[in-house]
Amino acid sequence: MRTSDLLHSAVVALSANRARAALTMLGIVIGVASVTLMTGIGASMEGVILGQVSVLGPDSMVIFLGKGPEGGTPQARSGFDSLTFEDVEALQKLTTVTGVAPVILITSKVSSGREEGEPQVIGTTPLYFSDLKLTLARGRLLDDTDLAGAKNVAVIGPDVAADFFPGGDPLGRKLQIMGRSFTVVGLLEAAGSAFFTNLDERVYLPLSVAKSMTGQNYLSVISFRHTGDAELSMADVKALLRQRHRIQNPADDADLDDFIVRSSDQARELFGTVSFGLTAFITLIAAISLVVGGIGIMNIMLVTVTERTREIGLRKALGATPSDILLQFLAEAVALTLTGGCIGVVLGIVFAALISLGVGIVLPEYGFALNGVAIVVAIVMAAFTGLLFGIEPARRASRLNPVEALRYE
Amino acid sequence: MKDHLIQTRALSKSYSNEGVVTPVLHGIDLVIDDGEFVAIMGPSGSGKSTLMHILGFLDAPTGGEYLFRGSHTSSMDEDTLAKLRAQRVSFVFQAFNLLPRATVLQNVMLPLLYHPTIPPNEREQRAKKAIDRLGLTERSSYFSSQLSGGQKQRVAIARALVTEPDLIFADEPTGNLDSASGNAVMKALQELNDAGHTVILVTHELTTAQHSKRIIRIRDGRIEDDATDFQRIAAGSRENLK
Repeated sequence: MRTSDLLHSAVVALSANRARAALTMLGIVIGVASVTLMTGIGASMEGVILGQVSVLGPDSMVIFLGKGPEGGTPQARSGFDSLTFEDVEALQKLTTVTGVAPVILITSKVSSGREEGEPQVIGTTPLYFSDLKLTLARGRLLDDTDLAGAKNVAVIGPDVAADFFPGGDPLGRKLQIMGRSFTVVGLLEAAGSAFFTNLDERVYLPLSVAKSMTGQNYLSVISFRHTGDAELSMADVKALLRQRHRIQNPADDADLDDFIVRSSDQARELFGTVSFGLTAFITLIAAISLVVGGIGIMNIMLVTVTERTREIGLRKALGATPSDILLQFLAEAVALTLTGGCIGVVLGIVFAALISLGVGIVLPEYGFALNGVAIVVAIVMAAFTGLLFGIEPARRASRLNPVEALRYE
Repeated sequence: MKDHLIQTRALSKSYSNEGVVTPVLHGIDLVIDDGEFVAIMGPSGSGKSTLMHILGFLDAPTGGEYLFRGSHTSSMDEDTLAKLRAQRVSFVFQAFNLLPRATVLQNVMLPLLYHPTIPPNEREQRAKKAIDRLGLTERSSYFSSQLSGGQKQRVAIARALVTEPDLIFADEPTGNLDSASGNAVMKALQELNDAGHTVILVTHELTTAQHSKRIIRIRDGRIEDDATDFQRIAAGSRENLK
């Protein structure tokens, strides 16, 4: 029997019992649809997350304040005020880091007189703009004279401009922050968001001004870039800060440190691990679903073989060899699972598209995406399920004695 | 010397079930040549269907020899026997055995799926020719469930004919038919025989057997009579009835 004859025969047999075929393949449909959908959601989320990470660039690194463990060693107790201006000066001397930019975060209302709001207010140095790849649209960035002279100037993101000075030119206009009046000297290009923080809704002030406004003698964050090797930079930074903060931590136990160093690459890796975990979980669900679907298929194929015993006898009488019969029933089982797989993929794609439409309303970065490899693997696994669970019924059919099969009532 | 189409020597068959051996055929010696129209006759349980199954390569004998065109069939494997069924013989069954979900044309084309030498592009043409020969051209797109019993059996004959086999077996072909349809079916088989096909008919009805040219009577697994003298056979049948 030719392959086309086998396929035709399988299609005829399955279409003769459409309702039964549909119900039988339901398990496979659900399994493959869920794989397509879930890996599609995973791919969309990965797109969103990588988009957030990639805004900062792969060389971007950040030092956050660490807390130290409860009742931890004395050297880790300093907690919130652990990052100092002296740390920044020491870091600037390292050869494996560049663009060291200290940051003081200010929580305060901002007002333009008419408009009021709470954009993120950041006191920093000019290097911060290059660390975050922020570019100027108009005016100027903060410069060293602003810092040295503690000038009340501000650089704002486009969303701040739109919120506080709608329709007007923000340059030269005033913003009130914590009782001080700042002149807007620069407007940034739109940069989107990084780590789910809107970079366009920020007000940047000179670090020296922020320090005097808050009276804060420690830093909220230190931003920097590595000069080639993220791990080497990280090791250098950790060693330096531990030495400066008198922390004994030869085992590199993050709980002992009073700071946390993160890199974009690390974040990407972390999301990669989460994504891998998710994929493994979905694969497990799909495998269970395919096994359940496969058992259903085996059951129905055994019933089919019994129902069609006379037909098997007839085909043998007409010259079918045992392998012809085996292949015929195997083709039916595979056609069943493969069709179920294809329907599952289509349903999964439809649901993934609907979800991306819905989520896109609240999270514009969420785009429609699919995991092609997962879809191909799911279809191949569905076909394999047909082979695996179809082989026993097909083998039984092929071994039927033609005379007994013809007499079967 | 030319080989016989069929030759059996001391052919026997017995079935064993849970250690109980039931003999069905005993020492059948038989020769059938090309072009014959033979009826194998006998009451139920006489072994006539078993003999047909063995001669048609559907079953294997447990003793003796079966030579088909001079070749021993006992040493043949299952695939070779399937090939012989596909190319050399065909069957017409009492219960028609048509595929209910297939049209007349698809049913008649079915044996060609398994024929090793007929190319796929000739299947439809050959099937249409066979359908035409049985006068069913107008019914070729009908499903078998839409046909009368007589029409179904004629479709089965067309299916038996489509591979141009050496030998057609007809197992009680009129058993499920009224007399008019039965006569039409027997007439069709006679026409096939007239056209050169060898036909072996299995029946328990003398009136059906009388359409053949030779009647082999079997009783209790043995050939009781093998004759072309129908008057003698008819007398024998009446004798048996008594």
